[in-house]
Amino acid sequence: MHKIWAVIRREFVERVRTRAFLLSTILFPLFMAAMVVIPGFLMSRSTGTQRLAMVDATSDQLGQRMAASLSAARIGRGEAALPRYVVTRIPAADRAIAVRDSLLPMTGRSRKLEGFEGILVVTDSTVTQGKAEYFGANVASFDDMRELEQTIRPIVIGRRLEGLGVDLDQVMKSVQGIDLVTNKVADGKLTGESGAATFALAYAMGFILYFSLLIFGTQVMNSIVEEKNNRIVEILASSLTPFQMMLGKVVGVGLVALLQIGIWAGAATFFSANQAKILGALGIASPGGMPLSFPAMGPGLLIVFLVFFSLGFLLYAAMYAAVGAMSSTTQDAGQLQMPVMMFVLVGFFSVFALIRDPNGTAAHVLSFVPMLTPFVIPMRYSISPLPMVELFTAIAVTVLGLLAVVWVAARIYRVGILSYGKKASMRDMIRWIRTA
Amino acid sequence: MNGSVVKVEEVTKRFAGHTAVERLSLEVPGGGIFGLLGPNGAGKSTTIRMIMNIITPDEGRISVLGGISASRDLSSRIGYLPEERGLYKKMKVVDQLIFFGEAKGIPRRTARIKSGEWLARLGISDWAQKKVEDLSKGMQQKVQFVGALLHEPDLVILDEPFSGLDPVNSQVMKDVVVDLARQGKTVLFSTHIMEQAEKMCDRIVIISRGRKVVDGSLAEVKRDFGGRHVALTFTRHADRAARVLADRSLVAKVDDYGATAEVELASPGDPDRLLHTLVQEQVGLARFEVVEASLQSIFIAKVGIEAATAPAKETVHA
Repeated sequence: MHKIWAVIRREFVERVRTRAFLLSTILFPLFMAAMVVIPGFLMSRSTGTQRLAMVDATSDQLGQRMAASLSAARIGRGEAALPRYVVTRIPAADRAIAVRDSLLPMTGRSRKLEGFEGILVVTDSTVTQGKAEYFGANVASFDDMRELEQTIRPIVIGRRLEGLGVDLDQVMKSVQGIDLVTNKVADGKLTGESGAATFALAYAMGFILYFSLLIFGTQVMNSIVEEKNNRIVEILASSLTPFQMMLGKVVGVGLVALLQIGIWAGAATFFSANQAKILGALGIASPGGMPLSFPAMGPGLLIVFLVFFSLGFLLYAAMYAAVGAMSSTTQDAGQLQMPVMMFVLVGFFSVFALIRDPNGTAAHVLSFVPMLTPFVIPMRYSISPLPMVELFTAIAVTVLGLLAVVWVAARIYRVGILSYGKKASMRDMIRWIRTA
Repeated sequence: MNGSVVKVEEVTKRFAGHTAVERLSLEVPGGGIFGLLGPNGAGKSTTIRMIMNIITPDEGRISVLGGISASRDLSSRIGYLPEERGLYKKMKVVDQLIFFGEAKGIPRRTARIKSGEWLARLGISDWAQKKVEDLSKGMQQKVQFVGALLHEPDLVILDEPFSGLDPVNSQVMKDVVVDLARQGKTVLFSTHIMEQAEKMCDRIVIISRGRKVVDGSLAEVKRDFGGRHVALTFTRHADRAARVLADRSLVAKVDDYGATAEVELASPGDPDRLLHTLVQEQVGLARFEVVEASLQSIFIAKVGIEAATAPAKETVHA
């Protein structure tokens, strides 16, 4: 036991110390941060408050009303929210075009200079024909234009309705749509999750396992090939049992995977929870659109996920270890890992296939195939909790599968690690398993 | 320790197509330095790997420290320096040594203290915090050496410990090995460098092409080989000497180095006749000494020149 610990510690510490680990661990949260900041930054590239010149050629106070409405618009919510526009209303009567032309030289210039970001021209035809003109540097900004349009539209509509003698408030109330709020109920309790979040979560869990196996499973495999190549394996083999060597390596690498994913998940949660604050600190208004959000994971689901992630990782990493032991070069290993890869892929895609019908026959059957269980069960559990019996049967099946795989893999490993030169054939492998 | 520490009985190991070790038996007594000698490809490393239970013999039995071929369970009592050195290149020297110590079953703290002591003893303390890949080959070999010894094993098995070392480092390692033997530990080492073996070993086994050809204490081996060797150094007329030495009724074999020669007499107890003849021929002699055969000459005589160059395919597994 002491020896396995030594191997686990070596694998863990040496990996965590590498520059590659540090980089990938930091880069991902940076990427997450960028995902939070950049859209916000892009959307409010004009850093919030825009200076707007309004050429008012209306004859009936429409201009004043619009100016009031625009001035009232805020960026984001809350008391600290900045005004979206600083409006300078310039009454123009029938000289709208002349006034506009006189303003153009002061428009769309560098932010530091006096002037305006844009000019809005409203005339009486804005009500009658629904036309208003905007001149500015930011006309390509879809969001800016939509925002502007949405702010002035109700004023125009209101004016038309007034003309028809209809009460604006009553109309607004009567055209109010419905907003279907989805709330997930599990086990007779509200979970506080929406439908979309549940789906995203089920998918994310499958992806994390898939991703970890591809990255870290391959690491297990390659490091064994490396140990074979620099012959360190002779020293290890004379002090440790193949089982200790293999288990130590697989668990050590698995812990590295958990640590990295933990850091990433932590970073993602932190950024999504504090998106507004971070943006605020950077002086960027939070985008009015969809905030970046990550589905919350209940404690039950977290445990189920961790259990099956661990089992799945051990199961597949043991296979990768056996592949590494069979190979003399990383190229050999790359070829020999194909069957293992196939299982990983099938497992991952079964998540997609079964997510529409998580309690169908196929889902039930695949829940008890050891190679697929680690993918299928957390997905099913996240959509609707499974009966305890089913859950524990699945765990038992996976553990049995794991033991079988480890038994076979350890035997391949035992012979494989000390055979150099040629790639092992299928026949060799079967012989190794039988004689080891 | 008494009795044999390593006992190899009638062991045979075959690799695809050829026999690396054939019905080999040897016994390493407790304490002292045991040399496993043989030309390249003779089966030395294969034998050592079988003793270490890294590979299993096809036939025969091996027992180590009284256990039946279970060196892994006894790993805390055995130190092993493999022929093909292996270290984790990216690891720091001290971390690597601690790991090796732990793998042998000693506590982490002890491993740390011991590796510090050993690095100091071998004069590479300054490199303890460096990565292995930054070290020279000689230093890496020292690290590997420490890795085999820091858990203070009773039995130390060294496969070609001096290969690739410069004379200075070779000397340092030799001192360590001799010191181990002095402490009552058992050292088994393989080499094909006879001078070294001759100076260090108490007992030797010479194997050739997987078979044992010589077995015994160094004194026994030399005695059995016979004291009919004469070492000569010429001052002049070496050509006349060559004529005398070519006389097969007088001299059975000559190992001629030009100015010096080591000869094996045709019949023991005949050095007088040779001296007489040489003087008669007026050969200038600086040295005429009846000597024990050197291990080198015993080795050549027993193994044969042809066996010293092993067939190509044997080297693959040796």
